[in-house]
Amino acid sequence: MIRLDAHRKVQLCDGMSRRDFLHAGALPMLGLGLNEAMAAQNQAVSGPADMNCILLFLVGAPSQIDCWDMKPDAPAEIRGPFKPIESNVPGVFVSEIFPKLATMMDKVALVRSTYHQATAIHDTGYQMMQTGRLFGPGIEHPHYGSTLAWHKGPKGDAPPYVLLPKPIGATGGNLPHGHSAGYLGKTYDPFILNADPNAPDFKVPDLLPPDYITAVRSERRRSMRKAIDGQLDAFEASAEAKLLDTNFQQAYAIMSSAKTRDAFDLKKEPESVRDRYGRTRFGQSCLMARRLVEAGVRFVTVNMFETVFNEVTWDIHGSSPFTSIEGLKDEVAPNFDQAYTALLEDLYQRGLLSNTMVLGFGEFGRTPKINPAGGRDHHPGVWTSLFAGGPFKGGTVVGESDEIGGSPKTRPVSTGEIAATVYEGLGLGLDLGMELRGPGNRPIRLVENGVEPIRELFT
Amino acid sequence: MRRPFSLLACLMAVAVANSAFAAERLVIVPGAIHFRTLDDVESLMLLKMDDSGVATADLSEAAAWTVAPADLARIEPGPVLIPRKKGEGTLTAVSTNGEKVSVALKVSAEPARRAWSYENHVVPVMTRAGCNSGPCHGAMAGKGGMRLSLRGYAPETDHDVLTRQAGGRRIQPGVPEESLAMWKATGAVPHGGGTRLIAGSRDYRVLADWIAAGAPGLKQGTPKVVRLEASPARARYESGKTGRITVRAIYSDGNTEDVTGWARFGTTDSTVLAVDDDGRLKAENPGEAHVTVVYANQVTTAAVSVPNPAKVDPALFAKASVVNKIDELNLVKLKALGLPPSPDAGDAAWLRRVTLDLTGQLPDVERLNAFVADADPAKRGKEVERLLATPESIDYWAYQWSDLLLVSSNKLATPAMWAFYGFVRDSVAENKPWDRFVREIVTARGSTLAEGAGNFFAIHRDPTDLTETTSVAFLGLSLTCVRCHNHPMEKWTQDQYYGFASLLGRVGLKDGDATGEVVVSDRPSGEIMHPRRGVPMPPQPLDAPALAQSDPRNRREALADWMTAPENPLFAKAIVNRVWKKFFGSGLVADEDDLKATTPPWDADLLDRLVADFKADGYDMRRLITTIATSAVYARSSVPLPQNRGDTRYLSRFVPRRLSAEVLLDVYSQATDVPTPFDGFPEKWRAMQLPDTKVADGFLRAFGRPERLTTCSCERSNEPSVAQALNLANGESLNQKLRAEKGIVRRWATADMSDEALTDALFLRALSRRPTAAEKANLVASLKSSSAQATTEQARKDARTAAVEDLFWAVLTSDEFLFNH
Repeated sequence: MIRLDAHRKVQLCDGMSRRDFLHAGALPMLGLGLNEAMAAQNQAVSGPADMNCILLFLVGAPSQIDCWDMKPDAPAEIRGPFKPIESNVPGVFVSEIFPKLATMMDKVALVRSTYHQATAIHDTGYQMMQTGRLFGPGIEHPHYGSTLAWHKGPKGDAPPYVLLPKPIGATGGNLPHGHSAGYLGKTYDPFILNADPNAPDFKVPDLLPPDYITAVRSERRRSMRKAIDGQLDAFEASAEAKLLDTNFQQAYAIMSSAKTRDAFDLKKEPESVRDRYGRTRFGQSCLMARRLVEAGVRFVTVNMFETVFNEVTWDIHGSSPFTSIEGLKDEVAPNFDQAYTALLEDLYQRGLLSNTMVLGFGEFGRTPKINPAGGRDHHPGVWTSLFAGGPFKGGTVVGESDEIGGSPKTRPVSTGEIAATVYEGLGLGLDLGMELRGPGNRPIRLVENGVEPIRELFT
Repeated sequence: MRRPFSLLACLMAVAVANSAFAAERLVIVPGAIHFRTLDDVESLMLLKMDDSGVATADLSEAAAWTVAPADLARIEPGPVLIPRKKGEGTLTAVSTNGEKVSVALKVSAEPARRAWSYENHVVPVMTRAGCNSGPCHGAMAGKGGMRLSLRGYAPETDHDVLTRQAGGRRIQPGVPEESLAMWKATGAVPHGGGTRLIAGSRDYRVLADWIAAGAPGLKQGTPKVVRLEASPARARYESGKTGRITVRAIYSDGNTEDVTGWARFGTTDSTVLAVDDDGRLKAENPGEAHVTVVYANQVTTAAVSVPNPAKVDPALFAKASVVNKIDELNLVKLKALGLPPSPDAGDAAWLRRVTLDLTGQLPDVERLNAFVADADPAKRGKEVERLLATPESIDYWAYQWSDLLLVSSNKLATPAMWAFYGFVRDSVAENKPWDRFVREIVTARGSTLAEGAGNFFAIHRDPTDLTETTSVAFLGLSLTCVRCHNHPMEKWTQDQYYGFASLLGRVGLKDGDATGEVVVSDRPSGEIMHPRRGVPMPPQPLDAPALAQSDPRNRREALADWMTAPENPLFAKAIVNRVWKKFFGSGLVADEDDLKATTPPWDADLLDRLVADFKADGYDMRRLITTIATSAVYARSSVPLPQNRGDTRYLSRFVPRRLSAEVLLDVYSQATDVPTPFDGFPEKWRAMQLPDTKVADGFLRAFGRPERLTTCSCERSNEPSVAQALNLANGESLNQKLRAEKGIVRRWATADMSDEALTDALFLRALSRRPTAAEKANLVASLKSSSAQATTEQARKDARTAAVEDLFWAVLTSDEFLFNH
């Protein structure tokens, strides 16, 4: 873009330069931190051993039978084209389409008996796997990250919950997808990147002020904006207007923190590291997730795809525009294998894996019987969820599916139990009876009464 | 839904109760009871009703119920009445404070036993028990080797599954109790789904009797359920109170039947109203919600309001101004809910509001002053008329319909996109009646460059996409679920989907000679297959007769005739609801793309009235807009009263809305007098004039411009976000406008204008008001201090310019600027 001031030296009337602004985070006059904007609801649960979480949402729903729960002895119309390979954990097999993962299964636990009973559309699975519950009329439950933000508030100036690269778009059902704060209020919604970190010209839009807006001017703008309050009462009663003000406070907190800004800058990574994650939108998002956790973000969701329609995803119906089972090995599986193993390896080498959970969730499984188009359709009857890092015991396998991978044979795990496990891992689970505030200030439990975490997963 | 009281009125036994409220009466529902067989039942209710037919208390459970003669029938918990023998008598209820009501009771018992129908009774019993639900045998792959259609949408196939599959072991007509299906359902043998039926219960007997009768399947001539009636259709229960909804099915032969025990119940808002599986409800928080009732592929609703417990001075309603019917009907609703309306916003605030909503622009200061000074009592109506005729208003509304029709270069070549846009804009400019506008699209033929409307078909080449988009865009009906199976919660069936799709099944598209040209025609043959039946369905509009073989019209003409006929229940309603939403931020039906029977409008009387008038006025869009924009409801202040602070739905006050991406960018250009450059478009082109959403602009993207890929209001987002705050603080769009050499900021900063005058002028220009004394004092002090330390004249000038830029920034990013309020 052509800069109007590019041809002349900018007079900085109040004597501060852009460089000063970059350091202004330390100045008390700009020191309005995120903590002021997003007061934590429950400081008591915040402790020194803060657990972080990266949720990789495998949009489209991976096939349990072709990925992590193979059925080599089932008939041909069930078992599919791929062969199992033994991993570095004796007796634990994964599909040949994940050669890298096979060397790292000692860091990954599998729950092969995840199931849900709602309608077999993508939307319900997104809701249940990201909040633990199916939404009802007038009720949108909060995402794990929003719940965490609500309970613990931010660490420093980093937003507590970030969504990369974009929310999941339309997937057919027209229902909410569960990535937001729901009834906790939009203050606890994620900071959404809305950009592709793998794009050559990638940068987080507008993270820094232009150089002519010095710290002094920025502060003046803020104080003048505050002075305009003629219609105050109309906006006090408006949730959207209050949200906008919170957004401004969050924006200032982010832009005045060099550490947070840098976390979004992938150019600060060596090329070799960027290559290791894979030069894909998902790979670079995983890398950014690691940088964000280092900078103090508590929860990062990475959506592997933006929708199931306009790109090749895990949604392998076989018929156009979807890919077939065979098609998994071309793009989707290598992309996942590369990025997922890079993330685990990188977190481990940096000593971050023990306080960062890495979850790999799909929204449901796929039908055991291969359809005439060479694909598999929606099947919430059983599928596999991946747990790594944090308190989880790598190499563990919890639950089994039946001979054809159609329903749980042992230890069925509901989406409520998945949520209880996430909350337990995040350190909110000491008392899963802990309550959220629902519509009309109604108390709502983190998970339903009697739902327990999957204890076998914990070390 | 159209006739909520018809049956109730003739069935209701009324006793004028001796209560403190002279207008309230006690009634028993149903108002007369006639058991034709001993297998029938009647769910009973004792309701307190006000004089407008609204139930205000449900006394059924606490009342003492008696039958005379006593052996005629017995009362079971519910309460439910069960006939015992032939005869006539009375049923009496005595409330806890001694009021007494009676109704006549007759048991004819001819025949004594009932012949249960497979589709009207057996399938609903299985549905109610959950046998054919998604997690059980209704799953795509079935369960445990038995597969039923989801909630019974394919009863003929299910009959085969029950009677013929598994070697016929599932039913034993000789000994129904020993049928495998009965053993499984009662848990007598291991069943993955557990116990679904209690042996000996009424539902158990329905199945057993049907099996004993030889398990007949679908029979020609069996009466069909044509509609449902929920009682009470309207209720007003105080927070914390409980009640119940009973349901009657009305059959095509005129008979009716209590199906309360077989219907499925839901709530449209569980924060207002909780409903359980048996139709028992509890009023939770103040507001209004509907109970939804589904039975035998029919749907109905009952409205329950929970009044605001705060005492409201009736004078607040009495002094509310009434301009037109919208105001009259809204005040009825607000009174019922105990929500007093906020006063009028005043001329200046109204003018800013309406100018933004009709043109996407701010009122200029001369206009503002003239309007406020004008003493003409009809000035608001005249202003709306004037605004609607401006080119800015035509651009604005052309943009709205371009969103709906997905005008863009996503799928169209540039000349085709312009042709489509040209059609839309010309139609708005001549105020083409909405029915004609849609007819021209649906029946478009020939070159898409000559007849821009035909591009609708060039965008939606896939027949299912075309079917679903036509339905969403023009009928506000989402049919996507129905592509694969009957709607689980609505009345629409898969057969109806493919009948409707057949109307669009013969569109022919051929590339023309020019770039982007497609020639649209009607092919003489070609069909869309029903995937389950494997045959095409005859072309048939929704809820209307199929086209006769001899029908001379081509199918698209028939579709257009049906859509735009005055009897069509959805066409006018869909667009009226969409227009309403543009003025109030949410529709009378919240989801403008899915006018489901199970999500009724929050004010059905108001929507019905607007729709009726819209049709009577010949689908005149400007007239509809004028009615809304001149109403007193639209003119209400956004400042809440203590008693209506929590209301964001019933319009007791105006709910502020963030300006849309395009409007915000345009008013930034207007307020700073610096246009936004758009690649490939002339200078001073406004965002609202863009025919295409592919024109790149970071600001528009950050603020939620839709992509126009699918017809869905969800594509546009007006929600604030951190990214937007960052854009306003640091982005180029606003900051470059503030710094532009020729912009108003530089001009004012260097002109001979006092700080006070400058602040006044800026407020009028941007906010349509003068600053308050406190605002002015603060801001002027800030301006003055900016150059206090300057040592040279140049430094002083630069400092002041920067400070004026900052003042503009502050005003242009204030809530008051970013929101229409």
